[in-house]
Amino acid sequence: MQGDFYQLLKEQGYAFGVPGQADAGQELTTATTILAFKYREGVVVAGDRRATAGNMVMYDRTDKVLEIDRHSVMAIAGVPATAYEMARILEHSFKYYRRTQLQELSFEGKLRALSKLLKDNVAAALAGTGAVAPIFAGYDAEQETAKIYFYDILGAEFEGVEYAVSGSGSPTIRGILYYLNTWGEQPLSAMSEEQAAIHALRLLTSAAEFDSATGGVNRDAGLYPVVKFITADGVRTMSDLQLRPLFESKVARTT
Amino acid sequence: MYEEPYKWVEAVGNRRQYLDEQFKQGSPVVGVVYDTGILLMTVSKGTPKLYEIYDRLALGGMGHPADLEKLRFNLLEMAHVEGFNRSPSDVTGSRMVKYGVAPVIKQAFEEVFKAPFIVKILLAELGQKAGRDTFLTINYDGTFEEKNSHAVLAATPAIEQTMLAYLRQQHIPSLEQAVSAAICAWAVGDRAQHQALDETGEHDEGKAGRPQQSTDRDALYAHMRERVTEKTLECALLDRHQKGPSKYRAIDPDELGRLLPKDMNTLLT
Repeated sequence: MQGDFYQLLKEQGYAFGVPGQADAGQELTTATTILAFKYREGVVVAGDRRATAGNMVMYDRTDKVLEIDRHSVMAIAGVPATAYEMARILEHSFKYYRRTQLQELSFEGKLRALSKLLKDNVAAALAGTGAVAPIFAGYDAEQETAKIYFYDILGAEFEGVEYAVSGSGSPTIRGILYYLNTWGEQPLSAMSEEQAAIHALRLLTSAAEFDSATGGVNRDAGLYPVVKFITADGVRTMSDLQLRPLFESKVARTT
Repeated sequence: MYEEPYKWVEAVGNRRQYLDEQFKQGSPVVGVVYDTGILLMTVSKGTPKLYEIYDRLALGGMGHPADLEKLRFNLLEMAHVEGFNRSPSDVTGSRMVKYGVAPVIKQAFEEVFKAPFIVKILLAELGQKAGRDTFLTINYDGTFEEKNSHAVLAATPAIEQTMLAYLRQQHIPSLEQAVSAAICAWAVGDRAQHQALDETGEHDEGKAGRPQQSTDRDALYAHMRERVTEKTLECALLDRHQKGPSKYRAIDPDELGRLLPKDMNTLLT
């Protein structure tokens, strides 16, 4: 089919999702807590920055919220090697489609593309070497609204009507999101951008409290989570300079 | 019959004549560097002639739409596979042309039993820094040239030289000035092509390319207004200020309306 970059890669001998067998004692690099929820103007997507292998912290500056194109973001949980490869394939696939077909790939088409990669990765995921459970969020130009989808490691796709979470720290914040959305002062979808950012920081800090594989905020090193907003204008990243005062005034406990 | 070398040379000569004939009524393409990017401009009828190839690469073409489409796909495949396997910064115009599309065009041109590509290509590349922007033009026989500041495609080399001579005299700091200069250069080229067509039976390129008429801006605008009827004025940019890795964007009619000189707005109606 014309405009299919993944197919083009396969025709050139590229193989994705090749299973390997993890040794019993082998600790693979994994991650994470990632979250996305709808706020007043669109969707906020956030993720901590820690990558771990068993008890070992491998890296504290991982970017798990990846901009795939001007209007979509993939947040990754699971084995980063596979997840980054998926993001690279998607990024090139969307660009290739737009440039060959002279139109944007539909939002639904983008969702299917990720689902297809996850399905091709099932063998590696079940072998224990490549499980990825991502969140995909983006602006659907046809329906004029920002949307959130999350996936299991087999490629099943679910819409997060109000929010979605993934990663080892996600059970902690899933409950909080439910509570906030149901009995909070206002539903998540009524929050302003600033309120959404504050809640994203609070949620990731909560996850880090109970999950050693989630990094949270490291004020000494000036390390803040990655927070991105998706609106009709596209994807925008909140800088550390903007996150710092929000964290100091609204998240950090001073007593 | 082409086993004998001199007959092959004769066949290639015939082919050159045939191809020259095909471009006589084509629409020229103009590429101009301005302070924050590159402008590509042409006038098209039906199918577009300006395309995005990769993050910093754009294509302008003259010739048969089906041939242009084939080579466009060739470039797109090459650029994206290379960008994926290595890195986007390894996808350079020079590599795409020298090791990719130019040999394909040359081979097709010299295989006298098969049809050649009826196409001339202009590839614009936005440099990582200002001052490093380049153009590569490829002729129908696969020969290519690298240029800075501006580049054009037209029916003959002589007409291209006339257009380039016009552009060299222009001062082009802003996008508005780039649009105005590109329109005038297009008009210079198109007018020369028409003049050459009128001189029936003559194929004197020197004569065709000679600037026999005024290069006064008003005269060129008048020619443009006359020629663009029922056609589309196409402009696209490689814009250094554009957010994200992809720097290409087509200029929509609203923006073009704001960029065009006041007395040229009628081109869009």
